[in-house]
Amino acid sequence: MSLAAPIHRKTVIAKEPMTRSWFVADVEGKTLGRAATQIASVLRGKTKASFTTHVDAGDFVVVINADKVRLSGKKWTDKLYRDHSLFPGGLRTLTAKGMLARHPTELVKRAVWGMLPKGPLGRRVYKKLKVYAGAEHPHQAQQCKPLALS
Amino acid sequence: MPRAKGGYKSKRRRDRIRKHAKGFRGGRSKLWKAAVEAVHRKWRFSLFHRRKRKGDFRGVWIARINAASRELGVGYSRLFGALEKQGITLDRKILADLAISDPNAFKKVVQAAGVAT
Repeated sequence: MSLAAPIHRKTVIAKEPMTRSWFVADVEGKTLGRAATQIASVLRGKTKASFTTHVDAGDFVVVINADKVRLSGKKWTDKLYRDHSLFPGGLRTLTAKGMLARHPTELVKRAVWGMLPKGPLGRRVYKKLKVYAGAEHPHQAQQCKPLALS
Repeated sequence: MPRAKGGYKSKRRRDRIRKHAKGFRGGRSKLWKAAVEAVHRKWRFSLFHRRKRKGDFRGVWIARINAASRELGVGYSRLFGALEKQGITLDRKILADLAISDPNAFKKVVQAAGVAT
């Protein structure tokens, strides 16, 4: 490096619009929460050196086979998804099994959403998540790279 | 001695408060007592947040170094442990900058630490 390099360097801040990659994550047989942490990291951009806290620096993630995700223990029957209509007695519960039957993509969606920051930025980041029940997805044009889930 | 009321100085003092209260919501920019209170709070917060900014940046650098070094097979914690052992004293700000502007140099630093797989 030359001596003419600036002595005082400011921290680079990721700027929008930026080029974002697309990843496709196959969650078949993957444990829900463990897959979700990795997906959430990519969505937020924490896997990139250009990560900036106040900017959506992340990439897109397409999740396929969301209906074949794995839950450990007795969670298929014991894990409850709770919604409240805000009326008295308006609590509605659905077991993980029921949720899978009714909304097969909702398990992954909710798990990832729970791991994202809640706020305007978090909601924007969440929009980069695309979840599909089968092995097919309509994002062929984006030339998704596979996201290896450990 | 004649009494000095200090009209000029007092006006300066009040103007300063009014100027800093500009743009505050409702009476907090118009009513004297509310404005003084709001401005004093503002000053305390800005002082606190200037101090806090140092830590905020450090957090960003750590997140970036972690992201860049994980690609090379070692996490932030282990990397810094190893760097210290090797006597490499590049700080987080410089390393984070390297990771973006010159990934190859960053890679060499990580290799010099001797923990990357």
